[in-house]
Amino acid sequence: MKATKVFEAKDHRWWILYDQEESRVIDSNVYVMESQGQAFLLDPGGFEIFPQVFAALVEAVPPASIQGAFVSHQDPDIASSLPLWHACNPKIQWHIPALWEGFIRHYGALEAPLQDIPDAGGNTLIGGRRLEFIPAHYLHSSANFHVYDPEAKVLFTGDVGAALLPPGHSAWVDRRDVDGKSFAAHIEKARYFHQRWMPSNRAKDDWIERVRKLEIDYLCPQHGAIYSGPQVQRFLDWFATLPVGNGIA
Amino acid sequence: MTPEQLTRQQERVMEVVNASFRARQDIDRALREIDRRALNAMVLVKKHGNALAGYGVVAQAFRERAALLRESASHLQENIAPLIEAQMRILQQQRLLQNFAQVENSGGTNLQAQCAGLLTTRRAWDKAIAAEQENARKILRQLLEEVRILQEGVEEQEYVVTSGRIEAALVEASGVPLMRVSRDMGEAVRIVARAVRDYRQQLERLQDESY
Repeated sequence: MKATKVFEAKDHRWWILYDQEESRVIDSNVYVMESQGQAFLLDPGGFEIFPQVFAALVEAVPPASIQGAFVSHQDPDIASSLPLWHACNPKIQWHIPALWEGFIRHYGALEAPLQDIPDAGGNTLIGGRRLEFIPAHYLHSSANFHVYDPEAKVLFTGDVGAALLPPGHSAWVDRRDVDGKSFAAHIEKARYFHQRWMPSNRAKDDWIERVRKLEIDYLCPQHGAIYSGPQVQRFLDWFATLPVGNGIA
Repeated sequence: MTPEQLTRQQERVMEVVNASFRARQDIDRALREIDRRALNAMVLVKKHGNALAGYGVVAQAFRERAALLRESASHLQENIAPLIEAQMRILQQQRLLQNFAQVENSGGTNLQAQCAGLLTTRRAWDKAIAAEQENARKILRQLLEEVRILQEGVEEQEYVVTSGRIEAALVEASGVPLMRVSRDMGEAVRIVARAVRDYRQQLERLQDESY
């Protein structure tokens, strides 16, 4: 996996760890927010890819600087590495959806310090900077959160915006895409994922309405590539018109 | 390996990982500083023409050595990522092994008779861990060799700094502050030397405690 900077302003940085080498499990991105020497992990990934995520992380931040971590929902590609991270750094405070606590502990993390996020959301401070936990329930999990950094204008969106890309993919959806052609090609790799994994049109519309009020420069999904600049708006417009929940004929 | 040895090994690996990050940052920063100082010295020399030609040779050598150090340091990075990955795979497999141990402990003596596959699987995991540990030891030896090469490069750079001090003393009458330039270069090299030495100590401790 590779580590690439998403955002940087003085002592405030966002990193993406992406393009995993193991192809038998779904390709996942892991994000790291760093502020004043303190780091925060977002969706740290599955048990199987932990060694390569950890090795890539050391490109970005020292592991001892990780103060906290966030788990958007209960899926194994998100949280099954939790006991391994806990073994490496037992001081990490884990922010998880309250609804999933008893489930997430099944991954073998009985002793890990888990901080429940209530359904209404919440926030945390890392290196003096505030991160907001924004409800994204039913997108796709029934208790699901995204993370917004108002200073960096980064929105981590978990499975929303996800695309199934081949090995060697870029961290970004083409940033010089003036006419939207690259976006059109990319979004085809996201279509089935959203139609099949996202269960609720009502939840989707509610989320879009709330998210449109935020200033977003980078929309960062847990699979695929980052939408930046005009691609953010293109994605929201595309998602708004997409009917989801197509598992029921 | 006992659970205590396992925990100790894990702590040692984390110390090395964090030390590696710090060492890389310190070395990068100091190498950039060395390059900047050498460039400044060369500009000073050019300004003063033939009078400082001797120091010009030293400054050029200093800059060239800095480039070689940077090259050697880049090899460190190439090897630290595979070492970390191997160590984390060991952690991952030990975690699975712990689960097996729990099953065996709770199942009593009849368990292996009832479930023959359990013993086979546990042996396979033991073997996988042993192979990973051997791989990690191999990478560690390679890494220590890279560190040794880097240290040799730093020592040669220290020698160039000493030559620079002598040249600076010889042309002190020119009024150009070459003694200060040499002192600054020496300080930058000392920072690299210290970072590399500390890093080597961490790696050697990990090697001593590897099972």
